[in-house]
Amino acid sequence: MITRRELVRALGRRKVSDWIVAEHAQELALADEARGLERREARTRTTLIVHQDVPQGRGTARLELTAQEGSAADVVDQAVALALTAVAPSWKSVAPAAPAKVAMLDPALESADLAEAAAAILGRLRRPAGAAVTASIEVLREQVAVQSSAGLAARWTASHLHAEALITTGERSLQLARDARRAADLGLDAALAAAAVDLAFLGAAGPPAPGPCALVLAADAMLHGEGLGVWAPFAAQADAALARRGLTRYQPGAPIAPGADRVGEPLGIASNGALDFATRSAPVGDEGDAIRQFTLVERGVCTGLGLSPHEAARRGRDPNGGVRNLVIAPGTWDEAAPEQPASSASRTIRTIEVRRLQSLAIDPYTGEASLELLLAIEHAGGAKRPLTGGTVSLDLVAALARARRSATRIRRGPYVGPAAVRIEDAELI
Amino acid sequence: MSPNRRELLGVLGTASASTLLWALGCTGPARRPRAAARPRGEVRTWLRDAVARLAAVFPAVHVLAVSRQRTSAAVDVIGTGVARERRDGAVLAVRDPKGRWHEQATSELTQAGIDVAVRALAGGPASRRASLSLGAPPPPPDEPAALDDRALGDRCEQITQLDEKLSSRIVYAAALVDVDDARVWSISPAHDREQRLVRVREQALRAAWNGTRPVTALAERGWIGGIDDQALGREAVEQATEDALRLMTPGAFEDGERVVLLDPTVAASLVDAAVRALWTSAAARRPEVRRRAAPGGPGAPALPAFLSITDDPTAPGAYGGFQFDDEGVPAAPIVLVDGGRPVGVLADRAAGGPEGRGGRGGRGRRPGHVGAVEPAPSHLKLAAGPFDHAELRGEGLTLEGALGASVDPGTGRVVIGCARAREQKGGEPTGRIHADVELTGDLSALLGNVTGLGKDALAVPYRDERAGEPCWRSAEAPHVRTRGLVRARRRRA
Repeated sequence: MITRRELVRALGRRKVSDWIVAEHAQELALADEARGLERREARTRTTLIVHQDVPQGRGTARLELTAQEGSAADVVDQAVALALTAVAPSWKSVAPAAPAKVAMLDPALESADLAEAAAAILGRLRRPAGAAVTASIEVLREQVAVQSSAGLAARWTASHLHAEALITTGERSLQLARDARRAADLGLDAALAAAAVDLAFLGAAGPPAPGPCALVLAADAMLHGEGLGVWAPFAAQADAALARRGLTRYQPGAPIAPGADRVGEPLGIASNGALDFATRSAPVGDEGDAIRQFTLVERGVCTGLGLSPHEAARRGRDPNGGVRNLVIAPGTWDEAAPEQPASSASRTIRTIEVRRLQSLAIDPYTGEASLELLLAIEHAGGAKRPLTGGTVSLDLVAALARARRSATRIRRGPYVGPAAVRIEDAELI
Repeated sequence: MSPNRRELLGVLGTASASTLLWALGCTGPARRPRAAARPRGEVRTWLRDAVARLAAVFPAVHVLAVSRQRTSAAVDVIGTGVARERRDGAVLAVRDPKGRWHEQATSELTQAGIDVAVRALAGGPASRRASLSLGAPPPPPDEPAALDDRALGDRCEQITQLDEKLSSRIVYAAALVDVDDARVWSISPAHDREQRLVRVREQALRAAWNGTRPVTALAERGWIGGIDDQALGREAVEQATEDALRLMTPGAFEDGERVVLLDPTVAASLVDAAVRALWTSAAARRPEVRRRAAPGGPGAPALPAFLSITDDPTAPGAYGGFQFDDEGVPAAPIVLVDGGRPVGVLADRAAGGPEGRGGRGGRGRRPGHVGAVEPAPSHLKLAAGPFDHAELRGEGLTLEGALGASVDPGTGRVVIGCARAREQKGGEPTGRIHADVELTGDLSALLGNVTGLGKDALAVPYRDERAGEPCWRSAEAPHVRTRGLVRARRRRA
């Protein structure tokens, strides 16, 4: 097995213009109640990026290795040959910047036996009365070392937990998933308790009546799909390579949607890859680029893009590590009163509080999305009625630019921001 | 910016691009990269030894090892890129006397790496060995022709050159050749198997602006075998260009219940999503699924008698095919729907489920052959019917270009995204085409409303990732005529 040190020595012997080696030594443990399975894994992943400058320009190659017979010299030769078959216009790597200071290791997992830790988390799970719960926990601990020809040498240890659970009461069930870097941040107990409540609502839920409504997206609906949920289009639109090719919906300096800079609480979004214990944090990126906090949207106007080293060089800027965790500026709206209209001028006569989605389909080109409702509460005239089914189609970029954001903040996985948003003038179909 | 587009840009972004220099032969020395060395015959010796040591301690043992290399080449408007990924690994699985399964996975496919894994499972040196009567090793699988990176790049260029319909309105054009080459060993006290799976995918992607919105179209083909065994073909590539260039009908699309003709990509997407959500032993843990989809259950859907769905990993050249699954069970078709009656589910051997509990399993699949096992389809086939697809057209819409499907296991509700909906009346196209529509409804109703199947089927390859490891499968379907709610995904044209 080729080690990082061997690769670095081989790179030193070969005339390589620029290189980065990243090594991830990972330990994983999985405890799965449904399958009656305990699984452990040890793996090492090494990434080698080589830039080779020739008179015609710069060639780049990326090799992912997990185990390799042969010699480090062969791997370096292969990387250089690959780079020379793909030479692009020249660009220069920027000097390395200081890695971001960020905590990513759960102290409780620093030296723990991961299988025992996973089993302990399952053992401590608070299972709601009257519900059957089967859960699985995967715990990862990894030691990362990144080294570059420009002198960067960064090392850190990180942990990551992924939990899935199926909660069943009678003839109904809900599936949950949570990701976190610390066991304490998983929030599985609260998620199970909320799911048990929602299962009871589902039992009484009826079909929705189509028509106009105000839409409140509660946290589980807003962050459907374990990641950024409805906020994902903003990360996609901040891809600098796509923006350069004119394939994004808006460009830096322009409002993200017509009038987005003139609403009462203009939207603000930042990427922060240096947020302690957030799931997409890291000191440096895969290409040795330092992770930085930067704004994507400020007062409704696009202000920044995720810049890889290559894109940054093309623009004469410093790389920022790309879009990582999203931090959304909270608003002033009180989500505890979801039926409250945004203004007296609103024509909306009912509010649909969406608790959970069946599916969320987003066109990242445009931000157009279809939200299939699994469970919602209709608030009308002081009455509440649980609903299941129905669809809402939204232009998410425009809708979220104008949405009212709750003052309460939550933090989940790669998201920090309002616990709920309220979108006026939606149409339930 | 679909997953396919992201994949293309990923290859180009990380491996860089050559612009025209590479195409004109103006690059650096034309050195042919050496192929990476691969584990040799001794892997089998290490694995057999591991099985013998573990079988002396545990009542059930299975060892799976993989040596895999992925090579992707892409060409787009700004150049060419090649990326390589290497993944070796082994999974040692044992069942203890209490019936609980333990697995130890390692990325170190070496004698030392396997030894460490055996010791970790056995809790000690495990020097005692059970007697195995595995006989002579199986014959080595066929060795596919070696490909260097330049040949892959050439193949990409050929896909691009196939297209004589490219015009200045195409703002983005790309081609991808993606080769996953895996050698897999499966050894237990009762068997010793080996397979070589070379999965090839070719794609051509086109994007053009239609008003203020981009329209994308994709042609794709995937197979197992040599890179020259099949090809994407001029017709498919030019069809993608035509589809991207097609002018969409302005104005609002009226949502409503329609008779729809699903093109094979949409029909395959529906079958794939339905089977994964409802017809696996893992899905059957949910009470709603047991009630709704279990074979012979009270809620089993009433489907037309001409509907049959089979999962067949032995289909020749199928992208999702295999010779044995990741639990070592030899490949065999599993009938899921026979003559309109649900009759089976996909199960793995360890997890249980209707066929897995004491049954033979057969669909235990591990992402990348090393991840955690789960029941999953291989190559799904919706049996073709007697009709030419033109005969199936009547009043309604033809839905083309699947953009992904989801089936909610709890409710059975389906949402299928489609790139285009073409209107037809009296079996003839009216010329009205709407971009980005969705077909929605209850799965039982959508399948129950099927009134005709085309006679020509198309296979669609799927490659997605779970925890960073690839999952391969494919689905084959003909044109399908059914009825469902069609609505616009885009609110304004």
